[in-house]
Amino acid sequence: MIGYVIRRLFHTVLVVFAISLLIFFSIRLTGDPVSVMLSAGEPSKEAIAQLKANLGLDKPLYVQYFIFLKGLVMFDFGESFRSGGPVIDLIMDKAGATLALAVGGILVSIVIAIPVGILSAVKRGTFVDFFGRVFSLMGISFPNFWLGIMLILIFAVNLKWLPSSGFDGPQNLILPSITLGMILSGILARLVRSSMLEVMNQQYISTAKSKGISDWAVIIKHAFRNALLPTVTFIGLQFGSLLGGAVIVEQIFSWPGIGRLIIDAINQRDYPVVQGGVIFLSIIMVFVNLVVDLSYSLIDPRIKSGGSGHA
Amino acid sequence: MVQKVLEVEKLKVGINDDGRKIAIVNGISFTLEKGETLGIVGESGCGKSMTSLSLMGLLPPGVEWLEGDIQTHDLHFKKFNKQDWRKVRGKRIAMIFQEPMSSLNPVYTIGKQIMEMILSHEHVSKQQARDRALEMLKLVGIPRPEQVLDEYPYQLSGGMRQRVMIAIALSCNPEILIADEPTTALDVTIQAQILELMKKLQEQLHMSIVLITHDLGVVAEMCNRVIVMYAGEIVEEAKVVDLFDETKHPYTKGLLASLPDIADEKEYLSSIPGIVPAPENMPSGCRFAPRCPNVHQRCMEAPPLFDVKGSKVKCWLYEHGDSEVVM
Repeated sequence: MIGYVIRRLFHTVLVVFAISLLIFFSIRLTGDPVSVMLSAGEPSKEAIAQLKANLGLDKPLYVQYFIFLKGLVMFDFGESFRSGGPVIDLIMDKAGATLALAVGGILVSIVIAIPVGILSAVKRGTFVDFFGRVFSLMGISFPNFWLGIMLILIFAVNLKWLPSSGFDGPQNLILPSITLGMILSGILARLVRSSMLEVMNQQYISTAKSKGISDWAVIIKHAFRNALLPTVTFIGLQFGSLLGGAVIVEQIFSWPGIGRLIIDAINQRDYPVVQGGVIFLSIIMVFVNLVVDLSYSLIDPRIKSGGSGHA
Repeated sequence: MVQKVLEVEKLKVGINDDGRKIAIVNGISFTLEKGETLGIVGESGCGKSMTSLSLMGLLPPGVEWLEGDIQTHDLHFKKFNKQDWRKVRGKRIAMIFQEPMSSLNPVYTIGKQIMEMILSHEHVSKQQARDRALEMLKLVGIPRPEQVLDEYPYQLSGGMRQRVMIAIALSCNPEILIADEPTTALDVTIQAQILELMKKLQEQLHMSIVLITHDLGVVAEMCNRVIVMYAGEIVEEAKVVDLFDETKHPYTKGLLASLPDIADEKEYLSSIPGIVPAPENMPSGCRFAPRCPNVHQRCMEAPPLFDVKGSKVKCWLYEHGDSEVVM
């Protein structure tokens, strides 16, 4: 187990190194930051050269990369081209909001999707299943910006129950979490339903029924427990993508998250912020995957963490 | 005086397709006596598994109990609700299945799975249930039972898993054990061990066994009486000795003839031509008629079960007692 974790941490270093290469060079394909920063008026050649030197952009590319990598080893992502402040502070400033939103979205989706998925599978072919499937389809097909705007219209503008933007307290979390959670729960409910249907056909479900235990004990203890593995995998992956991919929802609710930070930084060609943000998210993503993989061995005793690698 | 522990009366099980009832098990009746092993034999699709599942109230979705009753002592299954079934399952009638590799839940320990059965039927503490589980593992001959109690199914072989299944089934001391092809999925040597174990436990615990199988060798080894099913009906019922020595129904004869014989150097194994008709396409007369070598005019009409020297046969050849046809 410990050996496995150490191996995985070593993998993490490799992954982060690969991402650093990718992000460092691809962000430089987007254009020249200096031309964006000095877009007002007609900058002189001297001014441009001066700014480049200040930002360290005058050095050869491989030297720049080496400097970036050296900082990375010490968790120093450099300074923002725009604000001049350390990138790590900018990220840490937004990390809490991003994490809170991701956790909120996941929680909402779990609370909705798992009961819907289980009921759909158990009552297969009935109207309960029909509603469950319609719900899933709506979750999958609703664009999240539309759902977000609708929620704002209803609960913030008309009813005035909840704030529509910002991040000042837990009440701010409700609408964006529901927006994210609803969309996710559509897919999750379908996944739970299909995993449950597969498990319910297994022989050990007949064995459980033949013991004379209650229907719900069969469904929850015997069936759902076995359907948990694909569910947990999915939740883990979604959590990762929510960290960086909730940009639209962050925009709608003016959420001060990392997604927005990175988008703004890309628009301004603020290289260090983009690099730092992406690296930070990828570290969290790898870490979440590790936690998911470790949880497998708790869910299913046949999977030993030391065994074949689950990437 | 033999004591009947189970009576099945005109049981009809099938699909109810918008009022159009298609019987899979078509009005079968039989009894099970205390301490005996009753074999139910037949090809795949003859309704033997559906019969056993109706004894447990575990018919698959879409399949319904259409007519008839099953009775054990004073209990009439026909009137059962969910709660009543739960009290019978495991406690009075227990079941083991064909696939030991997949009939245990992979995520729970062996001990937990045995204890679950005990705790759901008896008011005992967890420790008492665990002690009983250990006792059961010893009873079914599991080596190092203390460790196995905390192991998972994947750590055991197929034969060991079937032993665990038997331990679970017998943990509440049921009067009746239904074994649906319990050895089909096992190696031949392991098969013999499991059959031996079932025999030993039957004597020890005085239970009755309904053994569903398509293996006539297993029948000869285990059973007192045999029911031969064809296309959802009982075609022959006999003591096991009579079934082999004085085979009556042409279908049973066909089954026995299709067994390979080591002394006989035939190039081809004999078989019964044709296939079992589908439930929605049953011939109106004798259901075996289209495949029967002795088919004649009378077979256009469905025969009843004739009593012939202590056996029962569903065939017109036995209308006047013993068969007049030399075959």
